[in-house]
Amino acid sequence: MISRDKILRTFQHADSQFPSGAFAFSQGLEAFSQQQDRLGKFDLWNFLYAQIVHRWASSERIAIIRAHRLNSDLDALADLDAEVEASTISEPLRVGSRRNGMGLLTTHERIGTPYAKAYRGMVRDGKALGHVAVVQGFLWNALEIEEDGAVLMSGYQSAASLTTAAVRLGLVGAIDAQAYLTKILPVIAQVSCSPVSENEPLRAFIPLSEIAISLHGATGQRLFSN
Amino acid sequence: MNVSVQHSLALKSRIGAARVGIGGPVGSGKTALIERLIPCFSRRGVSLAVVTNDLVTAEDANRIRRSGLIDPNRVAAVEAGACPHTVIREDPTLNIAAADDLEARFPDVELILIESGGDNLASTFSLDLVDWWMFVIDVAGGDDIPRKNGPGLIKCDLLIINKTDLAPHVGVDLGRMEREAGEARNGKPLSFTNCRHQKGIEEVADRLMSEVLFR
Ligand SMILES: Nc1nc2c(ncn2[C@@H]2O[C@H](COP(=O)(O)OP(=O)(O)OP(=O)(O)O)[C@@H](O)[C@H]2O)c(=O)[nH]1
Ligand SMILES: [Mg+2]
Repeated sequence: MISRDKILRTFQHADSQFPSGAFAFSQGLEAFSQQQDRLGKFDLWNFLYAQIVHRWASSERIAIIRAHRLNSDLDALADLDAEVEASTISEPLRVGSRRNGMGLLTTHERIGTPYAKAYRGMVRDGKALGHVAVVQGFLWNALEIEEDGAVLMSGYQSAASLTTAAVRLGLVGAIDAQAYLTKILPVIAQVSCSPVSENEPLRAFIPLSEIAISLHGATGQRLFSN
Repeated sequence: MNVSVQHSLALKSRIGAARVGIGGPVGSGKTALIERLIPCFSRRGVSLAVVTNDLVTAEDANRIRRSGLIDPNRVAAVEAGACPHTVIREDPTLNIAAADDLEARFPDVELILIESGGDNLASTFSLDLVDWWMFVIDVAGGDDIPRKNGPGLIKCDLLIINKTDLAPHVGVDLGRMEREAGEARNGKPLSFTNCRHQKGIEEVADRLMSEVLFR
């Protein structure tokens, strides 16, 4: 049985109220939904499913697990960070992930989470990149949240931040968004079961959404950072 | 571990530039005020940097960068993800990181002005982000604005009522506006400005010098 303390701590860190800057990123949702004339009809479910199965499960989830297993070895974390950088082809996604990671580190440094200050210092000195999945994995480990818990928190946050962004973009109503979440949660549960080996590579590529993101920068009209 | 105690200690022990927020409704003159304040601080020998939170584009940041008044590298833009109040209150981390980054790149910086995206009268700055903040409303919004008791207008350290040049055109009684704003704010300070014709700007800069920079 997981202790009540730990369950509550999990709620605290999975809550979108926990300041991390995540609300400013839409992972291509804004771009895709605005480029339907060029990219074809936008479908929120297809987008959500692709993000979870073809990006989160094979990339962020792997980075979180590997970061978690590194047990606060900060130099090894910096190497993993470089691997995330190299495997993220789209620049807005790469930059967004680093800014989101820095946002999360900012709060953890101020509340005194172990190692947050040291790693944030490494990012500011250019010795680490601070991608959000790496930062989540190692901070949640430092907070003694188990690997499984950390993975599910991240999966939940990825899906919930997309549905919240969809609400703010007016693509779906706030109540309807919960129906999408209800439908995606079992998918998250299922894909998070697949085992992760020691040096499991990170893979993420959703061509249409990355094309949308690259077109997006040029429009100059955007609410979200990516 | 007593997290809350540690938190307040962390805040008090932050060294670096003073951080000043500038909030207020859309179009009230926040960017115009910054443009007017920049030369004032430069004359006073204060090393300055600016963070803007544009709602949709990087327009305000670009406008300040192009003004020729400040090194463009000292101006950072933070996207607000459709939530101008979130990025200065519920989740100010992106703004804190942007200000930290400016401080790291320009170690001499003494004052960082942080412009919020245009919002409504309820927007307020988190004291995690700023040490002191102003709220800018304008005369053209109507002289009943102070009576509406918006938290932004009541809680800010300095209320700015801008565009005084427009008062005669929109039938606004400035004396009444001052009285009612004073009552709503329990006597906390307010300043009238006219950014178009550079009126009242020096007074705002003076107040920042003494209340924020202690000079
Ligand atoms: N007449 C007059 N116009 C002003 C004054 N100050 C600003 N303006 C004009 O008001 C408009 C809005 O000014 P901004 O400085 O962009 O306002 P803002 O609060 O930064 O707007 P957002 O960032 O979009 O919320 C511009 O056209 C300015 O030129 C003033 O004192 N008098
Ligand atoms: Mg502005």
